[in-house]
Amino acid sequence: MLRNAAIIGCGQTKHSGRRRDVNQAELVSEAVHNALEDAQVSLKEVNALVVGNMQGFGGVANPDLWIGDWIGAPGKPVLRIATGGTTGGSVGQGGFYSVMSGLYDIVVATAWEKHSDSKEAGATTGLLHVALANFFHAFGYGLSMKNLLATSAVGAAAGVAAYQARFYMHRSGCRSEHFDMVAAKARRNAARNKYAHLQWPNCTPEDIHKTELIVDPFRYGHVCPASDGASAIVIACEDIALKKCKRPAWVKGLASYSDEETQMQSESGGGVGVLDPSEQMGARLSAMKAYQQAGIKDPKQEIDVAEIYQPFPSQELLFSEKLGLFDEGKAWIAMEKGETEINGRMPCDPSGGVNATNAIGSSALQRILEAGLQVMGKAEDHQVPKKVRNAVAHGWGGVTNYITVTVLGETPAPRR
Amino acid sequence: MAYLKDQRRETMMVEGSWNIGAYRYKGSTQLQEYVDGLKEKKLIGSLCPGCGKVIVQPRNICGRCHRRMDKRMVVSHKGTITCFVISPPIEKGKYKIIGMDPVEAGVIQEGAILVPVFVRFDGADSNINTILLNCPPEKVHIGMRVKAVFVENPEGKLSDLEGVEPLKE
Repeated sequence: MLRNAAIIGCGQTKHSGRRRDVNQAELVSEAVHNALEDAQVSLKEVNALVVGNMQGFGGVANPDLWIGDWIGAPGKPVLRIATGGTTGGSVGQGGFYSVMSGLYDIVVATAWEKHSDSKEAGATTGLLHVALANFFHAFGYGLSMKNLLATSAVGAAAGVAAYQARFYMHRSGCRSEHFDMVAAKARRNAARNKYAHLQWPNCTPEDIHKTELIVDPFRYGHVCPASDGASAIVIACEDIALKKCKRPAWVKGLASYSDEETQMQSESGGGVGVLDPSEQMGARLSAMKAYQQAGIKDPKQEIDVAEIYQPFPSQELLFSEKLGLFDEGKAWIAMEKGETEINGRMPCDPSGGVNATNAIGSSALQRILEAGLQVMGKAEDHQVPKKVRNAVAHGWGGVTNYITVTVLGETPAPRR
Repeated sequence: MAYLKDQRRETMMVEGSWNIGAYRYKGSTQLQEYVDGLKEKKLIGSLCPGCGKVIVQPRNICGRCHRRMDKRMVVSHKGTITCFVISPPIEKGKYKIIGMDPVEAGVIQEGAILVPVFVRFDGADSNINTILLNCPPEKVHIGMRVKAVFVENPEGKLSDLEGVEPLKE
């Protein structure tokens, strides 16, 4: 790494299904101003901004073009990044690159989504664009509607995740009841996070199990909401971080790998060599690289808390394995024993995670932000009770094949 | 399939049709070869000279070793289910896809249970995403042997492959 960088301030908005009290620009400005206040940094001191939301969602193609005025961007470089579900992770890492490269000293990274601006959350402008329009070439080759219904991409990420969950169940032995447990934990944790969307104190797996079956193995209660919300972090170089912040969250490792797309017969119009969409090689590679940079040899011992991108409960389980926190196929057993609870041995998504709050573009940045809060000791009611030396944040998206992994810690990474 | 959202205040309504044909995204060059194969009830894949994988439907570049896949292979009609999901009984007025109710449009019968599956046909190293036919949903399992079901008169369309059904070996 060229030089050290750290998160010195975090800001987010209250998340809900419909933030009708603000427009998109006002929503984002809320998060940015909260972050600046938290960091005790004035807009004047900010050198550059990295921004992003999911392309096409919220009914505006390029919201960054008008949001700039509301977040203090005029007169400063702005970089928009959009990588689908991974957007927030890429935005955060874009911010880290900007500081670590020596280009800028203080950078604000912000990401958001305002689903409710489009009549059917994401559907009319978002999903039709990112999932269905990708099929239109196939209509030219006689794709029938019935065939289309069977393809995983029709449910977009949900379609892929249902198949992915089945693969994971088959090779790990985990059952749909375990998804009830993960979802219930996410809702309970969210109840301790004042910014979260689906807050449900004392939610039990039985509560989740009572919800309607969408497509076996998923129930309504397993699925993340579509949220309105924004998050922002202030990133500073080492000198400034030490001056401005008592306990910054140091960026120790960051990596992003992609793999073959696993959304069958969609974008490419050809087959895919990935037989098992729960294999997620990109996550394994990203984790290995990020841990290597961070000087982490045994993530099971050295990582204290994980913020995993888990819109579907199966993903908390399978990605926690890919991040090296549990052995392959064993995460659900650890979860059964309570190891992933806030007060457990390896807390996963103490914030409630994406399963409880999903403002898509923001979701992966929120994982970095929440990991940062845990390191800084500022997660309030959902702060894990143990000492946090290292926290890992994960993002999943692209055509379900892009991954970001970021390791934050209480001290900078060892120099190599 | 998306759940229908509750009605919201209409601000303005613009009547119109959506001409899907106006989109001219190009399919991969190999897609035509694949549908030509379907016309003869053949399932065509491409062979990677790097990793030796046979990918159905064919593609020209291997996703992981990035070698050109110029050689075509015909794989078996028999295959194995590698993954499945099961829909609840489809109800009218509950889902919309591309602005269309699949029951109203006659694509699916009311009350039908859809079992979308991944199938790895013998000789292939990839899955095909299709529908399980002629099988009670409770019988489906990973590892189940199936065979391809084609329409009676294939015309060289993706819809020529209707789905798969249980194979009695």
